[in-house]
Amino acid sequence: MVELFDKIQEAVHAVRTQWDVSPKVGIILGTGLGGFAQEIDVEASLDYEAIPHFPRSTVAGHRGRLLCGRLEGVPILAMEGRFHLYEGYTPKQITLPVRVMRALGADTLIVSNACGGMNPYFREGDIMVIEDHINLMGANPLIGINDERLGPRFPDMSEAYDRKLIARALRVAHRADITAHQGVFVAVSGPCLETRAEYRFLRMIGADVVGMSTVPEVIVAAHCGMRVLGISTITDMCLPDALHPADLNTILAVANAAEPKLRTIVRGVLAEEANA
Amino acid sequence: MPSAASVRVSESAASIRQVWPTTPKIGLILGTGLSQAADRMKVEQSLPFQRIAHFASATALSHAGRVVCGELAGIKTIAMAGRCHLYEGYSYDQVTLPVRVMRALGAEILIVSNASGGLNPGYRGGDIMVMTDHLNFMFGVHRPAGLFSRSAPPSEKCPADTRCAEDPDRPDAWMAPTNSDVRCGWCYDSELIDVSLAIARRDGFRAHRGAYVAVTGPNYETRAEYRMFRRIGGDAVGMSTVPEVLTAASLGMRVLGLSMVTNVALPDSPEKVDPQDVVEWAARAEPHLCRIVEGVAGHLMPDSGKLRLRPS
Repeated sequence: MVELFDKIQEAVHAVRTQWDVSPKVGIILGTGLGGFAQEIDVEASLDYEAIPHFPRSTVAGHRGRLLCGRLEGVPILAMEGRFHLYEGYTPKQITLPVRVMRALGADTLIVSNACGGMNPYFREGDIMVIEDHINLMGANPLIGINDERLGPRFPDMSEAYDRKLIARALRVAHRADITAHQGVFVAVSGPCLETRAEYRFLRMIGADVVGMSTVPEVIVAAHCGMRVLGISTITDMCLPDALHPADLNTILAVANAAEPKLRTIVRGVLAEEANA
Repeated sequence: MPSAASVRVSESAASIRQVWPTTPKIGLILGTGLSQAADRMKVEQSLPFQRIAHFASATALSHAGRVVCGELAGIKTIAMAGRCHLYEGYSYDQVTLPVRVMRALGAEILIVSNASGGLNPGYRGGDIMVMTDHLNFMFGVHRPAGLFSRSAPPSEKCPADTRCAEDPDRPDAWMAPTNSDVRCGWCYDSELIDVSLAIARRDGFRAHRGAYVAVTGPNYETRAEYRMFRRIGGDAVGMSTVPEVLTAASLGMRVLGLSMVTNVALPDSPEKVDPQDVVEWAARAEPHLCRIVEGVAGHLMPDSGKLRLRPS
């Protein structure tokens, strides 16, 4: 893990030569939410290829670059394109960018994703603020030797998602008349979608939505002491008694259509951050 | 042609036999905060892990890293103080090597202990849970070659031949723990469970039957995860033991699993877990664990070369 520390420093150096500002917030944009990037006052933009040790995105809908700039007056870093376990990346590769954001100065992580809704009160296109998660990916980015410079051996996860940020996000959504729920996100590796039996099981164990990302990044954020806000866009409903085949194009379309809501919530949360 | 893995077992066993040419009947694995229990033995030989071929050095908080050979209640015993965990990056094979070595030396019974977080609201910190069952959530630690790429070249800390991704002897190692003959319904020996609970009753300390959930860690669980594990039937959760139990069971050993409940998770009013507290709780419950271990050994007697429980 000692070599991980060095990799982080090399990536940090590459970013700093292009942008010498300390970001407050890191944002990870999930599937179909790349359009959000237009909102940012971009001061520097780096393709992942230009950053040492950053993996490359391979999934449709993920651009593959790091945007550095400001949003609502807050200096931020935004990842346009993220990495998934199902692409064959290791948990450490997926989460390196979070560690780089932390090393550059960010103390808050806003992470978004597309997910399948299982709570029958949810609807396609709704937003869910993540209150808690269940890790069923069979993977953990912290396995290995622990480098105490990065975080503790046994991080506590009883409040991985910051209560105040959750309240703030829900408040912003309410004011803007956006339907936003709060609930539990369960992460699986994918890439196949789930069977009806699996949806019943996931619901039974207490999850509201299911997705194939986010949890590795949140575990690392908790490890290195960042506050986390997680926002899920429900791109398709997965009700086991009325399950229809899901299609990537439809999922992307729903995600794109829901993007203005995400934009409003993140902007509102950042605006309050600037005034906090 | 012996496999590389079995050669490692023979070499480890040989390095112990060289200094202690005795057949142990009991193998003992002492987890977090429980290293002192080895001192209750009549010690004949004590070896640090570094002196034993292929034993990785234990690095987790409070692990001493030594093998203690001697007698417990008159029965020849080999005890391991300090163990390796999957969350440290060790492979399944490395974590379970000591059990294979104990078996190779002749041990028939494995007594394994751990510290765990309580899920059952009837438990209190300091209680002992005698394992009657487990739920193995340690899946995914192994990666079949080709699906997941190696992210870093081997270094001295993790040399190529011990990385978990590929064991050329058993490319399917990730799919099943040891061999296909593990009858998990029989993992935890019911007679040893009964004797353990009887000792607790006799000596007046709290001990329960329960199911242990094994996760890799290293992070502690979220509230949603605690609720899930409780709902699916777990009484306590921890980051070890199951690989050793499955290995012992597949080798025909009788297994007794003892869990020290160090904190009880209350998902509806959670508190942050401090690893140092875990060590302190475990130390407080240690005398009870020792009573059980000594008491169980005291109940065993040799009978035509094998150990069995004395009639009560």
